[in-house]
Amino acid sequence: MIDNTKCECGHQNHEGTVLCESCGKPLHEDEDETKPLEMRYDGVARLSQRKNPSLLNRVWNFFSSVKVAIYLILITLVGAALGTVYPQENMFINIDPSVYYKETYGTLGHIYYLLGLSDTYGSWWFKALLVMIGASLVICSLDRVLPLYRALSKQQIRKHLSFILRQKVAYKGDLAQASASRGSSVDAGQWVEDAAKTLRKKGYRVHTDGTALLAEKNRFSRWGPYINHIGLIIFLLAVLMRGLPGWHMDKYMGFLEGETVKIPDTPYYLKNEQFNVTFYEEDEMTDRFRERGQTVPKRFETKAVLYVCEENCDNPAKEPVLKEVARHNILVNDPLEYKGLLAYQFDFALTPRLVSVSPMLRNKQSGQSYGPFTIKMKNPGVEYEAGPYKLVLKEYFPDFSLDEKGMPITVTNEPNAPAFVFSITGPGLPAEGVPYLYFPREADKAQFRQDEINGAVSQVWDISVNSMEDVEIANYTSYLNIRKDIALPYIWAGAAIFMLGVIIGTYWQHRRIWLRIDNGSELALGAHTNKNWYAMRKDVAWMLSQMGISVDPKQLSDEVKKA
Amino acid sequence: MRRNRKWVQIAILIAILLIGGYTIGSSLFAEESIPREGSEPPAFSLLGLDGKTYSLQDYKGRPVIVNFWGTWCDPCKREMPAIQNQYEKWKDRGLEVLALNLDESRVTVQSFVQQNKLTFPILFDKDLLMRDRYAVRSYPTTFFIDSSGKIAKIAQGEMTESFIEQTVRTILKE
Repeated sequence: MIDNTKCECGHQNHEGTVLCESCGKPLHEDEDETKPLEMRYDGVARLSQRKNPSLLNRVWNFFSSVKVAIYLILITLVGAALGTVYPQENMFINIDPSVYYKETYGTLGHIYYLLGLSDTYGSWWFKALLVMIGASLVICSLDRVLPLYRALSKQQIRKHLSFILRQKVAYKGDLAQASASRGSSVDAGQWVEDAAKTLRKKGYRVHTDGTALLAEKNRFSRWGPYINHIGLIIFLLAVLMRGLPGWHMDKYMGFLEGETVKIPDTPYYLKNEQFNVTFYEEDEMTDRFRERGQTVPKRFETKAVLYVCEENCDNPAKEPVLKEVARHNILVNDPLEYKGLLAYQFDFALTPRLVSVSPMLRNKQSGQSYGPFTIKMKNPGVEYEAGPYKLVLKEYFPDFSLDEKGMPITVTNEPNAPAFVFSITGPGLPAEGVPYLYFPREADKAQFRQDEINGAVSQVWDISVNSMEDVEIANYTSYLNIRKDIALPYIWAGAAIFMLGVIIGTYWQHRRIWLRIDNGSELALGAHTNKNWYAMRKDVAWMLSQMGISVDPKQLSDEVKKA
Repeated sequence: MRRNRKWVQIAILIAILLIGGYTIGSSLFAEESIPREGSEPPAFSLLGLDGKTYSLQDYKGRPVIVNFWGTWCDPCKREMPAIQNQYEKWKDRGLEVLALNLDESRVTVQSFVQQNKLTFPILFDKDLLMRDRYAVRSYPTTFFIDSSGKIAKIAQGEMTESFIEQTVRTILKE
């Protein structure tokens, strides 16, 4: 079937046109001639409405359907909801998801993992849905905005009578009667000019064509939805870009006080210089908390320094050269921020740990002390100097113990009971040196009988600290959430454009008034807006009353039925 | 006008196809983050006890044993002599052993290596980055990499010498 799309005014319309692009006359016979017209997209055909679609057009048509778009959004919503059933993989610091979900949540958890729902938002199908929504947004918009733009930018002033009178706001009357009551005759041309002046006062842009008139206001509000779609597309693209390597990071890391830790996959190192926590006092707590006997942290902060690696970054043989780039006291919701890298306070734990000791070498007989020298618990140096004496570290056991054969071993890699075996050389000592076992912690010294093991040497020599000030202890491990989101500004920009579109489309309305005078005095007036019909009717009634025709705004919408 | 419109449509569809293809493809073919038997071992470049830098890539085409160990870990220490024996037995056939120490102090590692007369390269896994990359959760864990550069076997826990020998034979294609 070939539709005849040629209007009686002579205009050849596109396939799928509802209202003649030129004069506005409905192209199809309606059952009900008095029903208001369907004014969507001004009655023009969408791009996708055409006969004999090719494959290209079929794909285009699929995405141009609002129905398809709604289904896509619904499916995405359901998928996103499934992703909230169990915690996602990226929530954990170090797990093997193939084992974790089964162990923690049982068979259901394993199925959840096998279905790929443990990484819902990174899965191919979720991304495919996002891409399809994006495609639908672009195509739906273009499919409608281009024909609409064309229709609105070349509007015919003199519309077909059936177009005018079948608007939701319409008025029909004889000007001769109204003017006769005032004792004058009607000049149709003059009347239209006066009406134009009146409407201009209301901010309408008025075009006249003899005895026909088109008044229009706030046409830009029609672009609101499309601007908002552009915002959404930018938003979606930004979300997809986060999937690119290096664009997005969300890690949880522990930082012991005083430790500088490399942030993986970045050139950055972060040092927790100091961690402070204050707890609520007894009298500040509610009874419920007091009963539980819990301590509740009031405020905790990490004095953090961020370094960037400048040299030897990937050279394991050399220490990296670091440069300080940022320094911040990280509080909850007050992150360290540097070039898109964010470090949020997440948690902390009391993990008291010896970092270093600075003891002195003492000669018990002469009472002389040499040093101090500093021994680190992590990767201690090999050679130390204390006055004229030299100490060479032969063995180091961070967590000293004895095995079943009585041999010294370390049971963990943490300095819980550190023990150092030195070889001391210097004045009055043999050239090959004397061995000396040193426990920095008094408790270990007694438990493992340091002096007995050292034997005769301990009669003369002793290694010990003067006071607790020579002992460096890290008390807390601060857990930080390290985030990087380069796409964030684009997400904000997209959201801002989206909002702009919403505002344009919400707070302004595209109002249009068409009128024509036939046979010298028969006035036909129609008006259309995309929302706020109340104000539209008021505008028309006000204009008519200024022109000497008194109409109740409410009556205007009923005119259709009377006609 | 009509022609133009068709090109606009084609351009937009191609753009969507490219962007969509890339994002979906990158998540579809994303590298499995946890190494498993049959997958490729993550590359590393680490400092050895001898001061040299060792990279796994340098041993491409050769069978390699990557062992994660620490001196505080009893089963790790117990299996070391067996690894040393097998290393000596098969090194002429191209076998290499890279023993990644779990971020211990140099002095501690050095004295253990000297006492046990280990001759294969001992590497420092500083800050345990490679342990995490290899998703090692119990010690010792040993990865047997065959000459095609794939992980042939992952052994968790202490290995007997006969197990090591048998596995080495398979990666040597004996």
